[in-house]
Amino acid sequence: MAVIISTLNNPWFVVLAQTAAAKAQSLGYEAKIFDSQNNTSLEADNFENAIASGYNAILFNPTDADGSVTNVLKAKSAGIPVFCMDREVNSAEAATSQILSDNYSGCVSIGKYFVEQMHKQGKYAEILGLVGDNNTWNRSKGFHSVVDVYPGLKMVAQQSADFDRNKAMEVLETMLQAHPDINAVFCGNDAMASGAYQALVAAGKANDIKVFGFDGAEDVVNSIKDKKIVATGMQFPKVMAQTAAMYADEYFKGKRDFPKKMPVAVELVTQENVNNYMGYGKKE
Amino acid sequence: MKAIKYIISIITIIVVAYNSVYFKKLDEVKASLTAKEFNATAYAQTFWNNKLIPNLNKAVDLNQLTAMLSTDAAKTFDTYSHALGIGNLRYFLIKGKGIIESVNEDDVTVVFQPDSSKKTIVIAMEYIFGNAVRDATGLIDISEFSNTMDFNNVSAELNKIIREKVLPPFKSAVKKGDTLEFTGAIELNKEHLNLEEIEVIPVQLKINE
Repeated sequence: MAVIISTLNNPWFVVLAQTAAAKAQSLGYEAKIFDSQNNTSLEADNFENAIASGYNAILFNPTDADGSVTNVLKAKSAGIPVFCMDREVNSAEAATSQILSDNYSGCVSIGKYFVEQMHKQGKYAEILGLVGDNNTWNRSKGFHSVVDVYPGLKMVAQQSADFDRNKAMEVLETMLQAHPDINAVFCGNDAMASGAYQALVAAGKANDIKVFGFDGAEDVVNSIKDKKIVATGMQFPKVMAQTAAMYADEYFKGKRDFPKKMPVAVELVTQENVNNYMGYGKKE
Repeated sequence: MKAIKYIISIITIIVVAYNSVYFKKLDEVKASLTAKEFNATAYAQTFWNNKLIPNLNKAVDLNQLTAMLSTDAAKTFDTYSHALGIGNLRYFLIKGKGIIESVNEDDVTVVFQPDSSKKTIVIAMEYIFGNAVRDATGLIDISEFSNTMDFNNVSAELNKIIREKVLPPFKSAVKKGDTLEFTGAIELNKEHLNLEEIEVIPVQLKINE
């Protein structure tokens, strides 16, 4: 099995890649990891190499929801099944199956907890991830499907910080100048939640404004334990990677009726239950 | 001659221009677009009437369920729980009977084991969100959906039915001390099982004063 990963320059994707390869090997297959370095043309080279080298399945984390579709179709036409992990491609037919975090439902849970913590009223800001990324909007839509039901909760600012910690810090600093009276900030990932918290510390407002994130990154899990950040949504990259390898194994054994998209449950992590969790998963 | 050519050119331009532009009523265009889209409202209503309500008799008794979970959680999850996706969050269709201990701002607390344990659950009245009702019967197959937002919207529409149809008559009638028969869906985490804070998303509620 070929494991083609968007970037190995991020610990999240390293966990994804290594778990997929390890699971493939434990099932008796040879596995090799290819790093696309967040570059769709390098990803195309990786697909060509994997196809030419005779790999029978590709466990895939795409660089671009639209740009990666042609690479998946290339493998498909060569008779090689592709199983997407964590990120999707915008084609219902290209991949054999796409195993993805249930971002929407995870953010429904965060939204419900947000409303409870805010006692149904207050002003808040939202920091979005990459605006071209499907996960950004699935998270935002899930959150708003709950929070928008409560007219006492008013979103006074919404801006992208590209899933980046430093950008989120700058974005929140600017937001605070225009809206110094916000009570909470919802961030589309944990890197941005950490950046937002840093901005609040610098502004002397860390105890007044509640920060909510999404991912289950180790530093945010620790921040929740330290009562700095209120909550996050725990994703399970290991579950996604292992499922992709198991699906490939089942494909080799003749199974063909895979769900086009398989959601993986995201769990709400709060100050009440944080001791059950560690970075990117549960305590084992 | 020039005039004839000029007239022919004008007529040609008018004919081409006329056939290049079509006017349709906006309503018709919108209707034809939505006809091709997945209708979550209709799907949820059909599921509610034809699958959920007729299968409520398959709900497991909450007393029995908690007892089984306490003795063999893994087997009980395998036998009675469902979920559209994979992971630790699983859903059960449950039923039970109890005494209303308190009517709170967002829920009611029900003592469902009137013996010495006095165990309680809450029936949600305010926060009707999530996938519990969609997933608990196990009667929806994820392969029916090609688009993620479609099955998210099914949950939203089922929850809307509960908010609009199930809860209003209950909220206006419920009071402390009433006996309540309830059927609904619950979410439990199979890795970190917590039976002390069970919240029921109600499907049917019957008050016996």
